[in-house]
Amino acid sequence: MSATGSLSVRKATAEPRWVRWTLTAVGLGFLFFFLGLPLLAVFVEAFAAGMPKYLEALADPEARSAIWLTLFVALFVLPFNVIFGVAAAWAIAKFEFRGKSLLVTLIDLPFAVSPVVAGLVFILIFGAQGVFGPWLAAHDIKVVFALPGIIIATLFITFPFVARELIPLMQAQGKDEEEAAVSLGATGWQMFRRVTLPNIKWGLLYGVILANARAMGEFGAVSVVSGHIRGETNTLPLHVEILYNEYNQVGAFASASVLALLALVTLVAKTVVEWRMRKETETLDAALPPEKTE
Amino acid sequence: MSIEIRGIGKRFGNFVALDDIQLDIPTGELVALLGPSGCGKTTLLRIIAGMETADSGQVLFSGAEATHLHARERKVGFVFQHYALFRHMSVFENVAFGLRVKPRKERPPEAEIRRRVMDLLKLVQLDWLAERYPSQLSGGQRQRIALARALAVEPEVLLLDEPFGALDTKVRKELRRWLRRLHDEMHISSVFVTHDQEEALEVADRVVVMNRGKIEQIGTPDEVYSNPATPFVYQFLGNVNVFHSRVHGAWAEIGRAGAEGGAVPEGSPAHGDAMAFVRPHDIDIERSPVAGGLESSVQDVHAIGPVVRVELAHGSELIEVELTRERATELALAKGQQVWLRPRQVKVFAAPTQPLEEGGSGI
Amino acid sequence: MQRRVLPGFGLSLGYTLVYLSLLILLPLSGLAFKASSLSFDQFWDIATGERALASYRVTFGASLAAAAINGVFGLVVAWMLVRYPFPGKRFVDALVDLPFALPTAVAGITLATLYAGNGWIGRHLEAFGWKVAYTPYGIVVALTFIGLPFVVRTLQPVIEDIEPEIEEAAASLGASRLQTFVRVLLPAIFPALLTGVTLAFSRAVGEYGSVIFIAGNMPLISEITPLLIISKLEQYDVVGATALAIVMLVLSFILLLAVNTLQWWAANRHKATSGEAR
Repeated sequence: MSATGSLSVRKATAEPRWVRWTLTAVGLGFLFFFLGLPLLAVFVEAFAAGMPKYLEALADPEARSAIWLTLFVALFVLPFNVIFGVAAAWAIAKFEFRGKSLLVTLIDLPFAVSPVVAGLVFILIFGAQGVFGPWLAAHDIKVVFALPGIIIATLFITFPFVARELIPLMQAQGKDEEEAAVSLGATGWQMFRRVTLPNIKWGLLYGVILANARAMGEFGAVSVVSGHIRGETNTLPLHVEILYNEYNQVGAFASASVLALLALVTLVAKTVVEWRMRKETETLDAALPPEKTE
Repeated sequence: MSIEIRGIGKRFGNFVALDDIQLDIPTGELVALLGPSGCGKTTLLRIIAGMETADSGQVLFSGAEATHLHARERKVGFVFQHYALFRHMSVFENVAFGLRVKPRKERPPEAEIRRRVMDLLKLVQLDWLAERYPSQLSGGQRQRIALARALAVEPEVLLLDEPFGALDTKVRKELRRWLRRLHDEMHISSVFVTHDQEEALEVADRVVVMNRGKIEQIGTPDEVYSNPATPFVYQFLGNVNVFHSRVHGAWAEIGRAGAEGGAVPEGSPAHGDAMAFVRPHDIDIERSPVAGGLESSVQDVHAIGPVVRVELAHGSELIEVELTRERATELALAKGQQVWLRPRQVKVFAAPTQPLEEGGSGI
Repeated sequence: MQRRVLPGFGLSLGYTLVYLSLLILLPLSGLAFKASSLSFDQFWDIATGERALASYRVTFGASLAAAAINGVFGLVVAWMLVRYPFPGKRFVDALVDLPFALPTAVAGITLATLYAGNGWIGRHLEAFGWKVAYTPYGIVVALTFIGLPFVVRTLQPVIEDIEPEIEEAAASLGASRLQTFVRVLLPAIFPALLTGVTLAFSRAVGEYGSVIFIAGNMPLISEITPLLIISKLEQYDVVGATALAIVMLVLSFILLLAVNTLQWWAANRHKATSGEAR
């Protein structure tokens, strides 16, 4: 029997070719219309009036102050997220205590709560009619409609990302290695620096990338607490909204293209980190004695 | 139903999994495909089942071409090493699956399905577990359910891929005897894959020993054990001492003496590079010099259950000998003692062109 | 109590609890404090006002529709990404996360521009007399965009983990490919599908940024609840906003509970119940 004859035989677990092609076409078509086209449109719209107009829109002082504010907020919340994420994951993954599942649910809360509600909650605390409103006013401290409000809202929205990434990772790794380090006489810090951190570094970076993307792009919660003061409390996403509502299509999409670019960088970084994490587990598996391969 | 395999070949990239395999499995036989990991036995089984396609060659069922039949048209029952039970279905539904997916015209009525499933569950002695889910069963129970599921569609061939590989030793022994009885009751052809020589020798009517994508020997369990066709088979089935005749003149002599007795197959070289194979229990130990005996010194003596294993050294070579307890007591061997070895049965092969270390379980 | 071997339990848990208290419990108690100035009747009047009820209808209707669309197409996309080879697969796989990475405001203005009467897509749809932008359909489009990765990313690992033996077993028992999918594969991935759809729905219900640009925001017709909260706030109706926020918050909790229950169910649905199993 010739080798070509067997090509007509389908593997037991494969769909007929027409089914595969139809599903692939439907899937890719859906992704093209819902993801590809919008991504393309951002850049097309941004450059619709030509390069000079695009650069002009970005050189606008308000746009630049919005970019700086966005970067500042993202950088500011970063260490908070890292420390909280590591601390929460350490407690949850390595120890048993009562109320643990409640704690995990609490950490998920910002994912479930509407960003608008999250923003409103801070108005109710720090706003003029809020719980601490009179006290803050008396001491001339501005939280709402000012930078502190934006930072607090962003902290609320972004704190779960690092923790959510680290908890399953650290649970999967177990505590054998740390216990070994302690039994060999390592101090807490040495154990963390030399054993825990190298094991979680990619997961940590992954969480930071996701948190950072959200921090720079957050709209709803920040919109509620910022007060939209141009050149002062306008983050880049809010700036996009204002320009768009003023029918400044080129200006809005120019700023939007900066955010889209950041999103693309995020996706690339995320893919690279995912690839590194997979590679690391693969080399780990490869180092183990081979199992029966058949 | 008989199975004929004609010149089947299969490659995975550069790796030759199967190389021109010829095999006939007559109706009603229980055949074991035996070999080390990566020898191609599972690939061959999957090609018979239609789960893998061969690059070349033919599979015939009862003399009819089956090479291009889809897995679901082959009417073979397949049992997986890790059971592959449907997790979300009860035991009953797992066994009933093959009946429920039949085309409407062939599908038996519900009462008939119920009756047949319960009969099968009784056959595997697990009818009391019908409403359980697979995760609530032990490994041995799962494998019996997997068997019942495969039998539900009344296959003419039963294929089992390392069916007891994931079970512990005691359950494994029980289940393989039970499989033998089941096979005899069902009057079907069965093929099972294993890397466990004891399992193959105990259960099968015929054993097909495979290595590196080729069949090394086909024969009854007794044939392959007592009359191995190749050095590989010799090494894979049980413990063996290997002697290089050039190095050990005395043993080459014994080998030749054996040849006179007819133990060496035709074509074995009387001169030049050759290897002599002797099973540990086919060697006698003498305390005084014997003609043609190999002088060696006792290194260690272990009593292991019914046998006594003696490790001896001849120069730098280690030799293993198994004695009965009585004989060991008689000899009263001590470490460092000089003794003379005499083989009862030797097999000489031409020195291989490739190293032999693959397989050789237990040495 | 058993002595713990590893250090840092008190420190890490203490820090976590303080941080969460400041960031979650304190603000939530502020909400409760504000709500306490409301009588139940007042609350009920606001929460069931005409505009509020209409906004729930729009929000939940559009979220449900978007989650359903994502359930179907997300399954196709996840299946395609795991099972079928095609050029540029890694790129497409990375692109699926775009809605996680792209700021919602950017998504909002882009979708609005695309689906507007003169947009790339809207132009062709309006030729058939179908207006999408500035109607509830537009909300569905935005929420579909936002929810897609939840479904795909929940399904992908589950589809990857299906043992090929399961499908081979079904085939050797005579099942056709469609029977194998419906009877064997779909039940295996159904809990994940349901979880993904619930996550997408939960996200859609609270979504604000991507919706407001494309929705048209007509009270009673295309006004979502989060926007109604903001417009009440802009009219200094803090009490009204608080009442609606409480409705949203309660729903969020219910959805969070639903997701957790689903995941628990998926993990335990066929586990030993009698304790007898070995």
